[in-house]
Amino acid sequence: MTSTLTAAPVPAAARSADPRRGPAARPDVRFRSSRPDLLLCGALLTAILVVQGWNIGQFPTLSDDEGTYLAQAWAVQQGHGLAHYTYWYDHPPLGWIQLAGLTWIPSLIAPDAMTVATMRTAMLLVSAVSAVLLYVLARRLWLPRWAAGLAMALFGLSPLSVVLQREIFLDNLAVMWILLAFCLAASPRRHLWHHFGAGIAAATAVLTKETMLVVLPALLVTMWRFSHRDTRKFAVTGAVAACALIGFSYPLFALLKGELLPGEGHVSLWEGITYQMSRPGSGFVLGEGTGSNGVLRSWLYYDRVLPVGGLACAALLLLTPRWSVTARALAGPALAVAVLAVVALRPSGYLPAMYVIQALPFLALVLAGGAASAGHAVLNRLRRPGEARPLVLARRSAAVVLALAAAGYVLPRWYEGDRTAMTADANAPYRAAAAWLSTEVPEPARTRVLVDDALWLDLVHAGYRPGLGAIWFYKADLDPAVAKTMPRGWRDLHYVVASPTVRRDARDLPTVRAALENSAPVAVFGAGEDRIEIREIGGAERT
Amino acid sequence: MSLLIGAISLALFWMAAFTLWWQMHAWRTPETLASTRFESPAGGERLSFSLLLPARHEQLVLEHTIDRLLESGHRDFEIIVIVGHDDPETADVASRAASRAPGGRVRVVVDTHETKNKPKALNTALPHCRGDVVGVFDAEDQVHPELLAHVDHAFTATGADVVQGGVQLINFHSSWYALRNCLEYFFWFRSRLHLHAAKGFIPLGGNTVFVRTAVLREAGGWDQDCLAEDCDLGVRLSSRGRKVVVAYDADMVTREETPGTLMSLLKQRTRWNQGFLQVYRKRDWRELPTFGQRMLARYTLMTPFMQAFTGVVIPVNAAAALLLDVPVGVAFLSFLPLVTAIMTFVFEIVGLHDFGTQYGLRVRLPHYLKLIAGGPFYQVLLAGAAVRAVWREQRGRNEWELTSHVGAHLTREDVPA
Repeated sequence: MTSTLTAAPVPAAARSADPRRGPAARPDVRFRSSRPDLLLCGALLTAILVVQGWNIGQFPTLSDDEGTYLAQAWAVQQGHGLAHYTYWYDHPPLGWIQLAGLTWIPSLIAPDAMTVATMRTAMLLVSAVSAVLLYVLARRLWLPRWAAGLAMALFGLSPLSVVLQREIFLDNLAVMWILLAFCLAASPRRHLWHHFGAGIAAATAVLTKETMLVVLPALLVTMWRFSHRDTRKFAVTGAVAACALIGFSYPLFALLKGELLPGEGHVSLWEGITYQMSRPGSGFVLGEGTGSNGVLRSWLYYDRVLPVGGLACAALLLLTPRWSVTARALAGPALAVAVLAVVALRPSGYLPAMYVIQALPFLALVLAGGAASAGHAVLNRLRRPGEARPLVLARRSAAVVLALAAAGYVLPRWYEGDRTAMTADANAPYRAAAAWLSTEVPEPARTRVLVDDALWLDLVHAGYRPGLGAIWFYKADLDPAVAKTMPRGWRDLHYVVASPTVRRDARDLPTVRAALENSAPVAVFGAGEDRIEIREIGGAERT
Repeated sequence: MSLLIGAISLALFWMAAFTLWWQMHAWRTPETLASTRFESPAGGERLSFSLLLPARHEQLVLEHTIDRLLESGHRDFEIIVIVGHDDPETADVASRAASRAPGGRVRVVVDTHETKNKPKALNTALPHCRGDVVGVFDAEDQVHPELLAHVDHAFTATGADVVQGGVQLINFHSSWYALRNCLEYFFWFRSRLHLHAAKGFIPLGGNTVFVRTAVLREAGGWDQDCLAEDCDLGVRLSSRGRKVVVAYDADMVTREETPGTLMSLLKQRTRWNQGFLQVYRKRDWRELPTFGQRMLARYTLMTPFMQAFTGVVIPVNAAAALLLDVPVGVAFLSFLPLVTAIMTFVFEIVGLHDFGTQYGLRVRLPHYLKLIAGGPFYQVLLAGAAVRAVWREQRGRNEWELTSHVGAHLTREDVPA
């Protein structure tokens, strides 16, 4: 038998006396063997799954983007490559490749189930993993058990989260990976492999949704703080190198396909990036009447507590690292919130509705951290041993009053929001339109329809030809390979399904606009702005 | 073709990944790192030491080495200098030192073998050893005065049969290959050797190695026909279940120098590689109890040859994937070995930084650049040594190509870059 010398007593404990040096005495959190943690986390997880899962297909309204990603996941499953139209480097493909894996077995059992409303169920798994990871992360960032539970509840049960996490957005997948990266970066064992894994998970997050890039500095801060001085340089360098190397696989992929730089007759990564960077701005987020402001209002409509409270707590934590252990431990998440807020404040940037998704876990963490700090301050600040009993009672009652007040403010609002999410049916027009198109059209295989991405898979299952029969409406204008099959423009089409998205985007798409103008509704589902019209292209002119 | 490239890529990837992972062993967790150090000696000194110092045409450095050893703080040790009967200059230095030293602390043993090598010299001295523990040093070694006390403690605290201390090349500023050579030592003694100790299979180093005299005698001393007698001893002892302990402290390592010329480095490396090959063929490692240990032994002893192989194949493989018309997936796979190679480079840079910090040496940007630029050339050197070793072993050429020492680490030890 041979061995190295017996481990010397870990120097960390001795060194931790100086708070500025970093981690103070590390509470040893062993999530898997801690019964109270497992019970709390399990109970919260059940609640989250019920609230998010119930009525998942009916609310919120099916989004065009969901349809895009799921359709591309379907294309991956069918072996059509990365998309059924030419993959043009709009996003790195890893997100829908994961989606394809996630929905693979269900789609084998029931191929027709591969539609947006049904496959939202798969997002429940993502939500569940993310929520558990968030709890683990909170514990690893030294939050007390109740605060970790609070973070998980904020993250999973806020009406804003419920609405957004139900949807098939790449951001939700990316959040899962970045949470894994944070968990590994704050690993209590500080194993080189864990830090390495954090780098890999972070790269996966970025390749799932490229906007995660801005969160990486916050991850680095967390890793720095939670690594040991003696092994830090190896751990952090390893993680950064791993992340960079995996990240480079995307340009390498483009290079190997000969699509790195623009050229005649092919798409390129370069053009994909310049498109994303030059998307028309949606205005200043705080400016009255701008698109960004509308997006912000829509978030605040669902929940004010998480975004506003989280922002406030992030600012507080970033300002108090000298005095608060929690602030030091949560420096990474607080920084993430700050960076995301600054990016959203760009005056001319493009702010999509799902942008807030990647901020949700960090908002929840810092809000719970702020609550933990406040609780600690009320209960223990300036406390001396043998404090008079009345004072202790006063402290406790103050804490209870604060908690009750917070609950009294939050719970009714959340109850209302979550009740809507669990009962409202926003997708009846979509379902009706899909049913109509699959039953009322005599020869789907020979019919060409302009349709938005959310309905596209329903049509494919109904027998329309994917790509050139059922056509993503904007491809008629933007994809040369599709336009080529329509030499007579709108006259080569039979139907256009005018959903809100199609009507909105038609302004910039001449062929789609012409199709709308030269068609008449044959079936209308819903009313007002949200109605879906199935419009038949004018018969006489077509022949 | 695609299949071949894919298979080679995956094999290379796993090989390089394992090697890298083992190389990083000491830094896995802060606790692992803490456990690789010597514990500071507490309590009295229990053991007596016989320190063997084989010297051959090393009259220039020998005296200094003996003087340093005599400065040792330990109470009970003897130094046995082994000189050849055909090497009067070194013998003179040795006997002068013996007569000067107090209380017969230094003795001289003359090796009369017709053809000489290190194991023969060591075996010649073994019967004369009076200490509980035999320690081996080289004539050019700089030994820390506190080392013996620490080794004593390591023996008594762990009940080990063998204690291997750290050996470190210091003169990284001498040349581009010295830089890489120093770093190799750093990773080997600082990190990898601890993994071997933990796994129960260890090729020992050539000096700063301490073995209980009884254990050494029972094992029949060193193998006189092996070109890597140190490695062989470690393999034989650990295969028989002897407990080996490794400890590394930057201020307690034995400082050495890299060979003075590229050619002598090549010769030294050839000798080691050939020695590893001989140890592999002796099959003592087959007695290791577990499959994992045997695989580690097989892999470790074959490493020089795999290294040579990978150094050549990685670029060829990547080029083939890029230039030939293979599917994107396969081309992707072919980049995997490159990924591990880059990862290794990155950790080498960090290692060099750590090396500088540990030894208080100022490593500057040109050194890092040299490290990177020298990488491929060093790989060529390693490959050359591996091929040369196989060639010589095939031809049955077994003579000892000794490395000469100029003492660069003695004069320059405190002179940073």
